[in-house]
Amino acid sequence: MRSAGWLGEVSGLSRAIYRAMRITLLNLFRTPVTVNYPDVERAYPDRYRGLLALTYDKDTGEENCIGCRLCEFVCPPAVIKVEMLKAETRNYAKTFTLELYACEFCELCVQVCPTDAIVMTRSFNMPTADRREMLLDKDRLHAIGLEFEPSWATGNLLRDMQAPPKKTKPDVPAAAAAPPGGDA
Amino acid sequence: MTPLPPLAVAAIAGFILLNAVVGMVTYVTLLERKFAARMQSRIGPYRVGPHGLLQPIADAVKLMLKEDLVPRAADRRIFNLAPVIFLIPCLLIFATIPFAPGLGVADLNIGVLFFLAVSSMEIVGLFMAGWGSNNKYALISAMRAVNQIISYDLPFIFAAMVPVLLTGSMRLSDIAAAQHGLWFIFYPVIGQLAFLAFVIASVAAENRVPFDILEAESELVAGFRVEYSGMKFALIQLGEYAHVLGTSCLTALLFLGAWSGPGPAWLGPVWFLLKAILIFLLLTWVRWSFVRIRVDQILAISWKLLLPLTLLLVIATAAVVVWRP
Amino acid sequence: MSIPRDSLLHPTVGDPSPPRVITELDYAGTERLTMNMGPQHPSAHGVFRAVLTLEGETVVAVDAVLGYLHRCHEKLAETLTYVQYPTIASKTDYVAAMTSELAYVMAAERIGAIDVPKRAQYLRVLVAELQRIASHCLWLGTWCMDMGGALGGGATIFLYCIREREVVLDLFEALVGARLLYGFHQMGGVRYDLPAGWVAQCRAATDLIEARILEYESMLEDNDFFMMRTQGVGVISREVAETVGISGPLLRGSGVAYDIRQAAPYSSYEDFTFSVPSQPAGDCFARYRVRMDEFRQSIRIVRQIVDGLPEGPISSRPGVKSVVQVRIPKGEAYARVEGPRGEVGCYLIADGGPKPYRMKWRGASFSNLAVLPHIIPGHKVADVVAIMGSVDPVFGEVDR
Repeated sequence: MRSAGWLGEVSGLSRAIYRAMRITLLNLFRTPVTVNYPDVERAYPDRYRGLLALTYDKDTGEENCIGCRLCEFVCPPAVIKVEMLKAETRNYAKTFTLELYACEFCELCVQVCPTDAIVMTRSFNMPTADRREMLLDKDRLHAIGLEFEPSWATGNLLRDMQAPPKKTKPDVPAAAAAPPGGDA
Repeated sequence: MTPLPPLAVAAIAGFILLNAVVGMVTYVTLLERKFAARMQSRIGPYRVGPHGLLQPIADAVKLMLKEDLVPRAADRRIFNLAPVIFLIPCLLIFATIPFAPGLGVADLNIGVLFFLAVSSMEIVGLFMAGWGSNNKYALISAMRAVNQIISYDLPFIFAAMVPVLLTGSMRLSDIAAAQHGLWFIFYPVIGQLAFLAFVIASVAAENRVPFDILEAESELVAGFRVEYSGMKFALIQLGEYAHVLGTSCLTALLFLGAWSGPGPAWLGPVWFLLKAILIFLLLTWVRWSFVRIRVDQILAISWKLLLPLTLLLVIATAAVVVWRP
Repeated sequence: MSIPRDSLLHPTVGDPSPPRVITELDYAGTERLTMNMGPQHPSAHGVFRAVLTLEGETVVAVDAVLGYLHRCHEKLAETLTYVQYPTIASKTDYVAAMTSELAYVMAAERIGAIDVPKRAQYLRVLVAELQRIASHCLWLGTWCMDMGGALGGGATIFLYCIREREVVLDLFEALVGARLLYGFHQMGGVRYDLPAGWVAQCRAATDLIEARILEYESMLEDNDFFMMRTQGVGVISREVAETVGISGPLLRGSGVAYDIRQAAPYSSYEDFTFSVPSQPAGDCFARYRVRMDEFRQSIRIVRQIVDGLPEGPISSRPGVKSVVQVRIPKGEAYARVEGPRGEVGCYLIADGGPKPYRMKWRGASFSNLAVLPHIIPGHKVADVVAIMGSVDPVFGEVDR
């Protein structure tokens, strides 16, 4: 505690000055935390939620998207619009538009996708002077998928991460049949 | 060839000095920004020119291109004249500073007195700015500034008297020469206290943080220069930083031995500038470490702490001078 | 703590008794001046308009005008399903996003009687406490910047605090992928599990922040300038604190040691040992001390969690596969969490469908702002800024 009196106050003041200035001097010799973007980019984590992209199948090279519209229904700001195209073996998306300027980057569309078609990439690098360029159509979404590195998260991976553990196998006798894990 | 008339010599020397000072002052702002940035774990200006070296030029060009606004109800003549009146004393103080033995524009035999008297004249320009703006907050802050600067000029002058007494002369080159053996800052007790008092008083006299209450009037407006924009604002900034740099030079001269340093004699001005920059960095370090002090505390520190301290110092120094062998 | 009389640095002295609540003015005033503070002003708290009535330099009355950040969150919740809304619940208290999401999700789980596995509960506490650390970093930085000016020591502390906050946000980015709109909570648990190497990163982060807090305290405490501006300023007496309806550090700074995490524990808070700091004085300095101690207690909880995180599922329901997956049966519930600013509450009325019938946020800052007319009158205008900073409002949850 500071002693009263002129001398005590001056010494208290000097001590306070010393303590404050010591910290700033200490920080003078620490490395700055600035990352000189765009010369240097910081390391984005694996799960980084960047630009959205549509993917192709690794093995066959076909589009993964089956036009099921689950992403369109789950999107909170409703930025995705999909039209399904029916074909013989499987369905496709005839058109797929995503309004990136209104996207929340919440990753719900990635979560619900049954075929891991839509993913997020580890980059946000799409500067533009015209907002209309951020209205992405299917070709641009596929191009983004080829250009940038995808994040770790895909629909199946996320759902597997969140799934409750499987109950014991049904070949164990006398075990009660486990109820299915929630509604579909 | 015929020697030039002394008036021409003085004019050329003054011209060179003025340009050098203005150039130095603009780059000193960059130095402050980078030093402050490093203390805050960041880099400071970096992109304009290599490592931000062209930043002051960019700022100067920007300010020159800005629109020159004069409030309609402002007193035009005073408003326009104030930055000039503010700037002139701040540049004039460099005239008496000798950068090396014999290298000074006007080495007056009342050098210290001239410096201190002229540097106080900036108050006139400051108050003209506050009054001419026709802005209530500008006026209040200008009045507080005058109050503060006048309060701190007294300890400023008395602390400067300590080297004068120790030397016995007010000529700045004499004071610098007298420090060949021992810099005045190393003088036992008196030197250090005088240095501290001088630095604190100079920080307050320049309205720098932590004594910048007038610039943060209610944390809402910018003080006496709130209505200035463009080149006039640049002149006020120039004047402020020139004043800071000039006082740093004076501190280096009075307490840190001016041009004395190891090496050959022509290295003298380099040492001098280095010491002045060191003092400047000390002031910057203080600036970025403290929150603002309230105005009543500022005046209390001046009248109750610094003035008695410096008066005692002057008396003690006089005693030392009389009784030393 | 008594302010010494007529000393060097305390020249204008009021009552020598401990901090008084200023109820009467000594100013024989002339005319009163109405001054508008905001909605845009350098005091970086958001869009807040205070109409101050001044007599000279003393504030006589304050009238808060709110609503500049109103974005219809409560109506929005009626149009979004239980799956979709947690992704934008962060926008209410955007400085402490995790606790906002938690309140909504807890309310829905309470109505639907959905249980949450242990690991998920621990993860929720983990992110909530990390978020508390990040939020208090921002509070300290902005408060010092308000008091110290944007071009001085205040900015220095602001940048240091933001640097530390970035460390916590990097943790969240590695966990979730985003730095604000997390969408981390969902019905029945959480959406993301810890990636590899996250625990080590978290330990390093807490050690770093603990060391840096000491630095901030040494810069601020025992500093006469800071103490003069915060001690005895903005005193909330215990009676006012208990009747006006404030919560969080404001309440605990006035001597009422009430913390929802201990009074009504949720999400396994009862498994952790931590103390609830409280200070009796009720002034800005007391609230500062409460928050600085909360830093340390949060670090303590985080360390307990990373040392003893149970294995198990992170959700009791499978991952979201469709937007109408979650239907909460009819019912209503009010869930409260202890956010960094106080009690954040979410009142939900569910009607059996995938969207709630009505949702109401109890914003901590909204109720905390009600204390301003009790404490500001009598202070100078410069003190208003210090008081606003110590009340620490976030206008996302005031205006919603």
